[in-house]
Amino acid sequence: MTDAFYITAKELANGGLDNMPDELISSRHMIYSSPATLDFNSPGAKGFGVKRAGLAIPGSVMLLVAPACCGRNTALLNELGYSERFFYLLLDDTDIVTGRHLTKIPKVVKELCDELDYTPSAVMICITCVDALLGTDMDRVCRKCEETAGVPTVPAYMYALTREKRLPPMAAVRKSVYMLLEPQKRKSNECNILGHFAPLFDDCEIYELLATAGIKKIHELSRCKTFEEYSELSRANFNIIVNSEARYAAQDMEKRLGIPFIELVRLYRIDKVHNQYKLLGQAIGAELDDGKYYEETTEIIEKFKNKYGALTFAIGECVNADSFELALALTEYGFKVTEIYGTVGERNFVFVKRLAELSPETKIFSNLSPTMLNYRRTEKINAVIGNDALYYHPELKGIDFNDEIQPFGYQAVKLLFKRLDERLEKEI
Amino acid sequence: MKKLLKHISPLAPDDSGACSVLYELGSIVVICDAGGCAGNVCGFDEPRWFEKKSALFSAGLRDMDAILGRDDRLVEKLAKVCSQIDAKFTAVIGTPVPAVIATDLKALKRMSEQKTGLPCITVASTGTHYYDKGEEAAYLALFTEFAKEKLPVRHGKVGVIGATPLNTGLTKADRIIAELSKKYNEVVCFGMDSGLDEIIKASECEKNIVISSSGIRAAEYLKEKFGTEYEFDFPCIPENVLKKIETLTGKNVLVIHQQVAANVLGEKIKGCQVDRASWFDINDSIGKNDIHIKDEDDFSEKSKNYDVIIGDISFKKIGFKGEYIDFPHFAVSGRTFADK
Repeated sequence: MTDAFYITAKELANGGLDNMPDELISSRHMIYSSPATLDFNSPGAKGFGVKRAGLAIPGSVMLLVAPACCGRNTALLNELGYSERFFYLLLDDTDIVTGRHLTKIPKVVKELCDELDYTPSAVMICITCVDALLGTDMDRVCRKCEETAGVPTVPAYMYALTREKRLPPMAAVRKSVYMLLEPQKRKSNECNILGHFAPLFDDCEIYELLATAGIKKIHELSRCKTFEEYSELSRANFNIIVNSEARYAAQDMEKRLGIPFIELVRLYRIDKVHNQYKLLGQAIGAELDDGKYYEETTEIIEKFKNKYGALTFAIGECVNADSFELALALTEYGFKVTEIYGTVGERNFVFVKRLAELSPETKIFSNLSPTMLNYRRTEKINAVIGNDALYYHPELKGIDFNDEIQPFGYQAVKLLFKRLDERLEKEI
Repeated sequence: MKKLLKHISPLAPDDSGACSVLYELGSIVVICDAGGCAGNVCGFDEPRWFEKKSALFSAGLRDMDAILGRDDRLVEKLAKVCSQIDAKFTAVIGTPVPAVIATDLKALKRMSEQKTGLPCITVASTGTHYYDKGEEAAYLALFTEFAKEKLPVRHGKVGVIGATPLNTGLTKADRIIAELSKKYNEVVCFGMDSGLDEIIKASECEKNIVISSSGIRAAEYLKEKFGTEYEFDFPCIPENVLKKIETLTGKNVLVIHQQVAANVLGEKIKGCQVDRASWFDINDSIGKNDIHIKDEDDFSEKSKNYDVIIGDISFKKIGFKGEYIDFPHFAVSGRTFADK
């Protein structure tokens, strides 16, 4: 039995992105669906997977067309109040061989719409790996459903097989949920925030900053209670993306609705947060004065540091942060990060390189490596951040920092240190 | 509409059943999928995932693996994981992806055994059948592969086939063992709190107790191979259910569960007209005239004839106006008896 595989930040940075060890490349080994990272490997197990995300349109329902195994864990969503919005058309072997299920779908959609005591705003048809392999033209099936049932019908592709492709399932579903928006006259003082299926925290400074720039209304899909509110999204003057998985949806909205977009990143290094707001201001033609928030955040970090000293952290990837950027931020603030459980890619290799300069011995593990079955702690760690890190270190103090409501900007940094402070103050 | 579920979530599929049988046997189990099926097993159908570690992995198939049928890559990855994790054998579990591309599981078995040097069993589950089919195939593959030697029979030793969380709602064998120990000297639950050695030594058992229809084919195999007789029992009916049935008299009662559990409970109900039904496989050797429920419409139709239904509470949502007694079935609602 081999120990859990890791590589130091220095070794990884020296090797470069093209020479990553196989253990960090998920297509080169079996995937360990660790209890720590179930939501990564099973869209739908936790958080917003394709199935739950597909229901982001207010008043919509979903028909999952798949073998029973694909919809099994949807029962978990019943506890979140979705039980009345999910329906299943189970495929058998003959359906798969003959494709006869495709002719059934419009009839099923009609039956559902007739039986519900309300007319759904949309029916999302969720299909899975089977239809990916069969090459099903679900757009065509959806058009047929609309003709038969008279209700907008939208495909949602839960194709786990295409996870590392240009359009992975979670990016595709982000496009799907904005597909029902129709072009309308845009309002110069309105914008959308795109990226997550839950809103940003109410106290995120971005709302105030945009208000000072003359933005009167900021739309977020997850705050829409009705289909009418949802329809207002297409009158925004511009989109702000706060999660790169929404880029494809934003590109589609730019093409179809003429709404341009600006992409921001969630960062925990406050000088970078400051730069980003400066660039956002330039893009929208306004000066965003974030000085107050910058100072408040600096003060909170300093206070935390003075109270607890140079703590040592382990950071996971089931967290509302890029684990490597967060590790870099904590290191730059004067803390130590001994272990990171995360997925390295083109997107975050730049953070690895910088981390290698400041903390070359930081160990980088891959949650998905089968060797994580053998993980044992060998380093001194004071506190952990992330659901997965908590799983590996149940006896250590830590925070999951993985809320559905999304932290962003200075507010994210402040919340992180507030939560850490609250947790570290507790005895157990 | 047939196969349309409007009120309940899909029931446990065959790949979950296969994994459930193999979970504690010290093997490397590979679910031949893209990730979602493994997530369903680990995150929902396998409550032991959070209690007992097991080398259960997803093959992490991607579209080009499926399109090009790259079995060699799968075997390479399997060999790699065998060099990292100690295992007594390997197992490859089918899902819709290998079913659609018609993966030759027999060839995969031979290739894997050659590459890893470990025995390999394969289960041709497709994700379109229910868990009992997967369990049945896994039990049969397991006993056929490993229970080969005829050992002296140990007097009073019984083996339990079918002890999985999906059948029993239990993650440990202690309750079953405690109950059966009242009658037998030694009880072993194959695949639950016992390892591969007990499978190898299966011929030591004087008798096998089959607690789910998924165990019948394996029990038949052991009977044919070693002359081990078997009988049906379900020694883990929750106490609260047993208490509630005491109050029933003069009613038309339908018990719904996996067929063995439904029959054992049905026999305990006195003074009522009792029928047994299951959404899963029905086998005449367990109970004649037992009812198979095909889907929600079928349930609605058949349930009209009864005053009382005893079954997983999830079915109540389909629409039943009479008295309903909850008899949890993990393969239906994913609730263990502990949850209850």
